[in-house]
Amino acid sequence: MEQHIHPEPKAFIWKYVFSIDHKVIARQFLWTGLMFLALGGTLAMMIRWQWAYPKTAVPVIGQLFLSQTGGAITPPTYTSIFTMHGLIMIFWAITPILIGAFGNFCIPLMIGARDMAFPKLNMYSFWAFFISAILVILSFTSQLGAASAGWTTYPPLSTNVGAPGWGQTYMALAIFVTGVSTIMGGINYIVTVIRYRAPGMTWFRMPLTVWGLWLTAILNVLFVPVLGSAALLLALDRLAGTHFFVAGAAVGIQGGDPMLFQHLFWIFGHPEVYILILPVWGIVGDILSFFARKPAFWYKGSVFAMIAVTVLSAVVYGHHMYQTGMAPLLGLGFEMLTLAISVPAVVLFVNWLNTIWKGSLRLEVPMLFALGMVFVFGAGGLTGLLLGTISTDIYLHDTMYVVGHFHLTMAAASFLGSFSALYFWFPKMYGKQMDQNMGKVHFWGSVVFITLVFGGQLVAGYSGQHRRLFDPYQYKYIAHLAPLNRWTSYAAFALGITQLIFVVNFIKSILMGKKAEQNPWQVSTLEWTHCASPPVYHNFDIVPTVVRGAHEFADPAVKKKFGRDYLDQVEPGLGAVGEESSDAMPEPEAIGAE
Amino acid sequence: MMFGALFFMYAGMRSHALMWPPPGVPHLPIALPAVNTAVLLASSGAIALGVKALRKGERRALSAWLGVAAALGATFLVLQVVVWRDVWAAGLQPSTGAYGSVFYGLTALHAAHVAAGLLVILLVLVRSLLGKYTEHNVMKVRLPAMFWHFVDAVWVLMFVSLYLL
Repeated sequence: MEQHIHPEPKAFIWKYVFSIDHKVIARQFLWTGLMFLALGGTLAMMIRWQWAYPKTAVPVIGQLFLSQTGGAITPPTYTSIFTMHGLIMIFWAITPILIGAFGNFCIPLMIGARDMAFPKLNMYSFWAFFISAILVILSFTSQLGAASAGWTTYPPLSTNVGAPGWGQTYMALAIFVTGVSTIMGGINYIVTVIRYRAPGMTWFRMPLTVWGLWLTAILNVLFVPVLGSAALLLALDRLAGTHFFVAGAAVGIQGGDPMLFQHLFWIFGHPEVYILILPVWGIVGDILSFFARKPAFWYKGSVFAMIAVTVLSAVVYGHHMYQTGMAPLLGLGFEMLTLAISVPAVVLFVNWLNTIWKGSLRLEVPMLFALGMVFVFGAGGLTGLLLGTISTDIYLHDTMYVVGHFHLTMAAASFLGSFSALYFWFPKMYGKQMDQNMGKVHFWGSVVFITLVFGGQLVAGYSGQHRRLFDPYQYKYIAHLAPLNRWTSYAAFALGITQLIFVVNFIKSILMGKKAEQNPWQVSTLEWTHCASPPVYHNFDIVPTVVRGAHEFADPAVKKKFGRDYLDQVEPGLGAVGEESSDAMPEPEAIGAE
Repeated sequence: MMFGALFFMYAGMRSHALMWPPPGVPHLPIALPAVNTAVLLASSGAIALGVKALRKGERRALSAWLGVAAALGATFLVLQVVVWRDVWAAGLQPSTGAYGSVFYGLTALHAAHVAAGLLVILLVLVRSLLGKYTEHNVMKVRLPAMFWHFVDAVWVLMFVSLYLL
């Protein structure tokens, strides 16, 4: 498709604030997401403090925000904390970082487009997200506290009966608004990938990252509206006095049905967990290949596995509702489909292992994080089998085991995957190199402690500890788990402290990092081979013509001819048209340089 | 998908209900909503004719058809408010259990889409009068028209399932 080069805006407000440049919008999403990651992480630390030292004053944070109780967490505060932790991490931390930041940054650059298909829509998407972020902050400041019905926002807890006050209403509205933002972004990604691929960039030459992000966008556009309608109906119940989810004595005439919310929520909610992991699968698939210096093993298999997961994710939501009195036959169907989804997931997993098998691994920071993601995702995936099976789920339902499981897959895997992407694309985003040694310390701290935290939760849950308990030890059968929980909390605090290393590294690198080369990782995709670091406003002076896939590594003939172990996606390569004599080795950069 | 979810919710509620409509709730009128359905369908037809005219390069005809579509859309909203007022006066309110919630919730969300579509059509009308559209950028009129047809199709489903069934 013909793409014009637009002049670059000069005024600060159009260049950095209301920008339509996908690279700037990506950074806006990245910063907002990282801020919320810090906020959600702080809330997590407070939950862990409560479980380590129930009802005692929280150091520092307690003095600042909970002064009325002398710094201790009360039960209502506690419910608000875990509710806001979950919602913030999912909708305002992982989503903007993975999809908002890397989706925006990578898709046009990797497919050879000059910007998104709808640059203005892209800007609206960010600012809608920003409005939802303000609603989240408002929720914290409202009387009677922030939302407190759990991240799932189930009625009747989330109706005016269970959660009076504006905190819950603000969150229902915030979910709706951030949904609008996500849909706008999703439509943009879908159209961009379909219409704006560079000449020769066929579907099966696209990097796995783009595949993951594109499938995510499809899921977003299909299923976020369902969440939007649930949030809207909840808001109507709270504001307009309707009775969609209110039943029983509170309603005179035949009332609504709280179970309906659960259906609507999980029709969205299960695709959502794949929304949060599909981009990571794609990114990790690419990075493992890049740093193992080998082609991605069975690339098409990985692509079809991701497509299969995308399709299946729409029909497994019932496994969140096994314990709601669902008909046994229906439950059995959902069980079968749920276990079926592990097949494509395992295909991906085996492909990753085969990609690194006998590779020349370069253990740089992005690769370390990618390997860490493979490890925690494997552990998380295996623990999920016990929850997908009804008979074992009856025992484990609503225990800390569930918390440990979904944190390993959704939180730990997405978290490590996000950092893998961040360390990998940082030089392209900011034109600076991050400190690799600090990155390595950050990695080892993160992967060890994150495994300990969620591993500890798995053990506690297997021992019967219910999730969301304010003071678990008031129950005799859990009282002996106090030391386990305390040690888990120590690991969580260590994890939190480790992140400070990243904060220092990130800010230091932006301000005074070493200038990055165009292609510091020596990889083959367009953003590294055909764009400066950072790329110019319109990305590509000449839109390149792609001739091969993204993982052309380890060909001995290429090594002999070019003196390097990879071919980029554009250069003619071996024996193609216009081949020079074998003595005149083309300068690697000269091919890509504008 | 959003309206899909809403209809799913409605179907779920209705299939669980012992009696639908529940005993004691006032009957919904049929005549006025039926007229209103015709109004919205006509509006959809008008905008389709407008797009067709623009394809042939008849820019004045486009403006005329857009004006007709906008007027019919506005009529729909006014009649919808009349229906709400009548039903409200007959004793059905949003807080009258699930039945009232479904009736007002679905029609209000649909009306919000009609209002949004109407704003867009008015904007297109202004730009059309300013001569911004030619047979070479039909897409800019086709897209709002597609949205308008979508809103129309949703209304037909709503009319059939809320009032008739």
